[in-house]
Amino acid sequence: MKTVHLFTLSALFAASTALAHTMNVVPSHYVQSKTGGFVTVDLFASNMTFQADKGVGVDGFKVVLPDGTVTKPASAAQGKRKSMADVELPVAGTYRLEMGGQPRYFTSYKVAGEQKRLMGDKQKAAKELPKDATDVVTTQGRNRAVAFVTVNGPTDTVLKTTGQGLEFSFDRHPADIVAGEAVMVTLTLNGKPVEGVKADLSFDGELYRNDPARQHLVTDKAGQFSFTPANAGRYLLEASAEAALKSDKADKIREGFTFSFEAALP
Amino acid sequence: MLNKSSVAVLMLVAGLSVPVMANDLEISLQLPKISEGQYHRPYVAVWVEDSSEKSVRLIEIWREKPDWIKDLRRFWRKTGRSDQPLVDARTGATKGPGAYQLRWDGKDDKGAAVPKGTYQLVIEAAREHGGRQLVKQKFNWDGSAISLNVAAGNEIGEVQLSRKAP
Repeated sequence: MKTVHLFTLSALFAASTALAHTMNVVPSHYVQSKTGGFVTVDLFASNMTFQADKGVGVDGFKVVLPDGTVTKPASAAQGKRKSMADVELPVAGTYRLEMGGQPRYFTSYKVAGEQKRLMGDKQKAAKELPKDATDVVTTQGRNRAVAFVTVNGPTDTVLKTTGQGLEFSFDRHPADIVAGEAVMVTLTLNGKPVEGVKADLSFDGELYRNDPARQHLVTDKAGQFSFTPANAGRYLLEASAEAALKSDKADKIREGFTFSFEAALP
Repeated sequence: MLNKSSVAVLMLVAGLSVPVMANDLEISLQLPKISEGQYHRPYVAVWVEDSSEKSVRLIEIWREKPDWIKDLRRFWRKTGRSDQPLVDARTGATKGPGAYQLRWDGKDDKGAAVPKGTYQLVIEAAREHGGRQLVKQKFNWDGSAISLNVAAGNEIGEVQLSRKAP
């Protein structure tokens, strides 16, 4: 796993093997110069960046058209090592491909000093927790994997943040990320810039080099960090953050995302 | 539809001279003969950028199917993706190995003369089953003479920029 932060997340999510890995949404093409075509999207969990280890369920995959309409892929199939979805691109503009998005609840607690957990929100935990449970904390967790595909001119509708959960925005359109040019990223949690969030930036080909050469980034007071992709190629940005939550279902929220993109040749 | 060369031929036939502006930037571009591997004619775009690397004038694009224009990565990002009519207006057929003469009259895509300053000629070539190359050559567009050579690369042969002093 990428960071101590994410490792904790995966340990707590051990009931779901897919979440023990990094979730990936990787389209066959990020840029297209013709409408009416397709991209085929790989959906998988991985340990090394872009090295498919496990196909994930395709039900949680959705496509947001350039006008903001949410649709499903033309077809999708789950494979052992990776799953695949065909996405039709009928109009020009930027499409959002997104996997996941449904919150999961889990409750961690201690019994006689031993750390335990159960899958379920506060209400379920109230019924199932042992009477001598201490240090009870219920977390609402959600992981999303995102990529953008741009056909002809780029558009911004699907880039807009919703004010819900951990979200990212860039100081340039994803289709304008170019090797050697700095990119400023802003992370928001429920619409507010969030400081101290750890993010990892990795790039293709980890299987074929000794040093994964990941960049470890942390948001500043403005919720921002910047990076410069040294070379053209495919990159993965991943981050997670948590915050207190006032809800009858959970005590805190933990949100993670992965974002795959390409840095184009200059 | 008449293209530039057929207009030129018609004018010659009619005994008229083709108007050549002495102050134009003349661009000599070579496409190399490539014998290794499969050969498909390259997609080539030639344009002028200002000092902030913004495209001000698309000179020509030689291409076939729209599917592959994106492989001219810089051209697609700077111009192609957001101005289809301009791309169509400047499109020519792909060309094989040989020497080609192009010119820039110092005007932007809207036909207005550009201000004096530093510009760069950009040539991008990408070939199916082959390589990609980008040539960028800066020049001063201030009325003075220009004589610049760019050494040949794998996909784009020698490039010469010249402009006579007025």
